[in-house]
Amino acid sequence: MPRIVRGAEVSWEGNVARGTGGITAASSGAFVGLEYTAATRIGVRAGKTSPEELLAAAHGGCFTMSLASELSKAGTPPGRLDVRCVVTMDEVADKGHQIVHSEIEAHGTVPGCDEASFAQAAEAADATCPFSALIRASATVTVSATLS
Amino acid sequence: MATERTMTTTWHGTLLEGAGTIHEAPSGAFGPLDVSWPSRAEAPDGRTSPEELIAAAHSACFSMALSAGLARGGTPAERLDTTATVTFVPGEGITKVALAVRGSVPGLDAEAFLAAAEGAKTGCPVSKALAGVPEITLDAALA
Repeated sequence: MPRIVRGAEVSWEGNVARGTGGITAASSGAFVGLEYTAATRIGVRAGKTSPEELLAAAHGGCFTMSLASELSKAGTPPGRLDVRCVVTMDEVADKGHQIVHSEIEAHGTVPGCDEASFAQAAEAADATCPFSALIRASATVTVSATLS
Repeated sequence: MATERTMTTTWHGTLLEGAGTIHEAPSGAFGPLDVSWPSRAEAPDGRTSPEELIAAAHSACFSMALSAGLARGGTPAERLDTTATVTFVPGEGITKVALAVRGSVPGLDAEAFLAAAEGAKTGCPVSKALAGVPEITLDAALA
């Protein structure tokens, strides 16, 4: 299998309390110079992204592709999947800030697939999604799946 | 206090022939972003991918942690430039993250910068979440 390599760049100026960073998708150019700060990471977003929002995009995107793959393998390719991912960061006693939870909620329109098979495909997607496996180093992952 | 961030993705069709959209971020900062398997596995062709988003999250988290560490040490950074490069082998998983940082930090020598960068590499929340990646490398030097 080919190795797939993707990179991103960040420039940070100033101290953590008052500084600002800019995040750029270096491989694709799909986003450039997204601002982020400590205050908007923890508190009100004020139009700025954060590592946790990017992780939610990564995990949701990764899981969605795995689910499309599992449903196709089962002979019932999806018409449409809508997947919501909520990533939670919290302060853990003696361990500082950690990504503690990633919650996946999948809704699908899948011709020829019943609720039980959809739930089974979602479980398999969680097992095969490379990011689901990784993030369990510090976070619990929960998956719920219902047909629309 | 816990911080939650939510993103939604919509997908149509099979993995290989279908396509998806990562909806506009609730923060309003980016998106919607198109994704597809060919642009994830082959040339990006202007489209992002889960691996690129992981690289973005990790480089952002690492930079913030390093900035915090340097300030705690009494030598706040003027500027940090960080790249994260994520390697994904289908069927195997995410096999490597390479972090590289160049810093402008008045009053700090190279050795102390490297020590601070090692601390951020181990301690930042995204590093802890990615602790299962087989290889995480760090290249840290003063600009």
